[in-house]
Amino acid sequence: MNRQQYGWLLALGGLVWWTANTGVRAETADPKWQELDQKVRILERKLELADEAAAAKAKETPTLSAGPGGFSLASADKAFSLRLRGFVQADGRVYADDEGDRLSDTFLLRRARIILDAQLGKHFAARIAPDFGGGQSQLQDAYVDFKGSDALNLRVGRTKVPLGLERLQSSTERLFNETALVTALTPNRDEGILLYGALGKGVLEYHLGAFNGGPDGASIDSDTNDEFDLAARVWLTPFKHSDAEALQGLSFGLAGTVGEQSGTTNAPGLPTYRTTGQNTFFSYRTSTNAADTAVADGDRTRIAPQVYYAVGPWSLHGEYIISEQDVGNGSGSASLEQEAWQLATSWVLTGEKPSLKGVSPAKPFDPAKGQWGAFELKARVGELSIDDAAFEGGYAQATRSARSAEAVGGGLNWYLTRNAKLSLDYEQTTFDGGAADGDRPDEKIVIARAQVSF
Amino acid sequence: MKRFITALLIGTATLAVAAPKPVTLLNVSYDPTREFYVDFNAAFARHWETTTGQKVTIKQSHGGSGKQARSVIDGLPADLVTLALAYDIDAISEKAKLIPASWQSRLPHNSSPYFSTIVFLVRKGNPKEIKDWDDLVKPGISVITPNPKTSGGARWNYLAAWEFAKRRNGGDESKAREFVSALFKNVPVLDSGARGATTTFVQREIGDVFLSWENEAFLALKEFGADKLEIVVPSISILAEPPVTVIDKVVDRRGTRAVAEAYLNFLYSEEGQDLAGKHFYRPRLPAAAQKYATQFADVALFTIDEAFGGWKQAQETHFSDGGVFDQIYK
Repeated sequence: MNRQQYGWLLALGGLVWWTANTGVRAETADPKWQELDQKVRILERKLELADEAAAAKAKETPTLSAGPGGFSLASADKAFSLRLRGFVQADGRVYADDEGDRLSDTFLLRRARIILDAQLGKHFAARIAPDFGGGQSQLQDAYVDFKGSDALNLRVGRTKVPLGLERLQSSTERLFNETALVTALTPNRDEGILLYGALGKGVLEYHLGAFNGGPDGASIDSDTNDEFDLAARVWLTPFKHSDAEALQGLSFGLAGTVGEQSGTTNAPGLPTYRTTGQNTFFSYRTSTNAADTAVADGDRTRIAPQVYYAVGPWSLHGEYIISEQDVGNGSGSASLEQEAWQLATSWVLTGEKPSLKGVSPAKPFDPAKGQWGAFELKARVGELSIDDAAFEGGYAQATRSARSAEAVGGGLNWYLTRNAKLSLDYEQTTFDGGAADGDRPDEKIVIARAQVSF
Repeated sequence: MKRFITALLIGTATLAVAAPKPVTLLNVSYDPTREFYVDFNAAFARHWETTTGQKVTIKQSHGGSGKQARSVIDGLPADLVTLALAYDIDAISEKAKLIPASWQSRLPHNSSPYFSTIVFLVRKGNPKEIKDWDDLVKPGISVITPNPKTSGGARWNYLAAWEFAKRRNGGDESKAREFVSALFKNVPVLDSGARGATTTFVQREIGDVFLSWENEAFLALKEFGADKLEIVVPSISILAEPPVTVIDKVVDRRGTRAVAEAYLNFLYSEEGQDLAGKHFYRPRLPAAAQKYATQFADVALFTIDEAFGGWKQAQETHFSDGGVFDQIYK
């Protein structure tokens, strides 16, 4: 018997009840009426029990969900879940005024990443995130989280070192397609242990960790010496819960790392610095001769103040980093200070509020409804300066490595939906030194990117 | 003043150190014990705080006995269980290894501090003239009982009916099977637990007779009025012994063994037994049994062991998947 038939019988039951309660009492003593009344009551109760059983079963049934945030499978109580996310970034890159075709225009699969997040009960979680960008397989994140509370969590494994603000953003949420020069001075992913949490409902976030200690800009898989780098970061959003709307989007923080590193001729433990186009403009001197090879040789300290402010459709992102590294070669040693900074700003033409998580379009792309998503204009300026002592001490060669790089860029982001984004960047980088005949030629690059994330 | 503040601080600190931390217990029980354990928990909490100074809060969970046992097996952290029948607790021992196999010998009376039986609850005036088990299989009689696959009380009902028919037919098991099969043909709705079946019979006014725990029948009478319902005691019924035990692995992990064991022992105390009688369970303690003797009818009771060789055998024969109940109720 289907629900419609049940419905008719219930209606009939209602009629029975009505007649029984409106003076037609004689019929209620009739066994046939009583029998019918019982049948209706039984059907009603069976429906009630079926609903109870369905509700109980729903509480025990795992849920499968799909949405803009990815795809997930979760136990009924949500204590156990597996969430599948990922993204693809496909670029077209063209260099302007590239005399002699030194740099190759190219299509590039910049990133193609799968992110698997597992929640294993109240206190344990794990992430595995391999990337296949550029035709290579690389494990980006792989860690275990021991979740105590909002205020106290412990992460063990491979993750981002908490230092640079732009570095800590997901690559899908950054304002520009490539990171600024300032981010070249921040280490990328590393193996280690990280204590983190948020206090005051997110007003203060903190990270405190110990890592193998990789060079600026690098991701490493293991340590090359016995020392670890310590990293700490505090990030304040003091007006997050205040009534002062204009200040709610103001955040600032300070981060740093300290450690001691020593390299060898084969594994110097020193960084190279790259432009927006991912071309190396500074590298330490290497040679088969140990005396001419610069290696990490002592303390390394990084300090990174940072700020982000968003109000209305406007945002400002500022970072400064000083990275001090003791280096040595066969003839001496020195403590070198590399400095970098960036200021970036954006204006969302369609009025949405920007954040460090990007822009979520108020009217997702749907031409049939006259909706086109969100558009954001952007600009940035930045610089990275190499310590003069790097060249004076013979740790780098001025004819091959630039003393400084300055970059100015701008562009447009088109957020079609929460999952799809098109962006177009132009950036010009000028150099001081770095070529046999003086200054390295300017790099003028156009990067167009199609990105889908889920 | 300074001395006073110092003394106050020291006193407060001493009290803070000396006062034991409050503790919570979870009692996973079956449907008809709700009201009894509400009163019993309050009494035990008073007793425990008086004797040890420690505050104890007891949380209750109720449902069909079989379902409750499965919840404990699946991880519900019960400090103790007070279920409808020993088989369900045996399952916790066998499947989850949370308690030793010998759990039932740890407390007196097979760890059943009180007992009960199965009676009939009928409409006032007993319009269908239901007096004994054989009236339940007559055409036109609508019988309310929960599902024996999920409810402990329903298994007691089923076995009592089976044994009645077997004895009536000179020990013929096939006649007993026919009888129980006919009985369940008269069951229009199967609730998962005794409390749901009470709702079906009393509140939804479905059926002519409700096969009920004796205490549940008295409770229905008390709550819904003796002018609407009455109890019929059959010629023979089953000795229903709802057992209790601590869940060893849980109490050891949580550090609640002492209070959980005291809780169960308190069921055997004068106060515990009196509360059991007050809530229509038959007490074990002679004084309490004497006090409440008049509220219980004399009925010939047989035990599960003598009639079915114990719960394990009864379960395997009648209630396991593909067993007799599955064969007769499709």
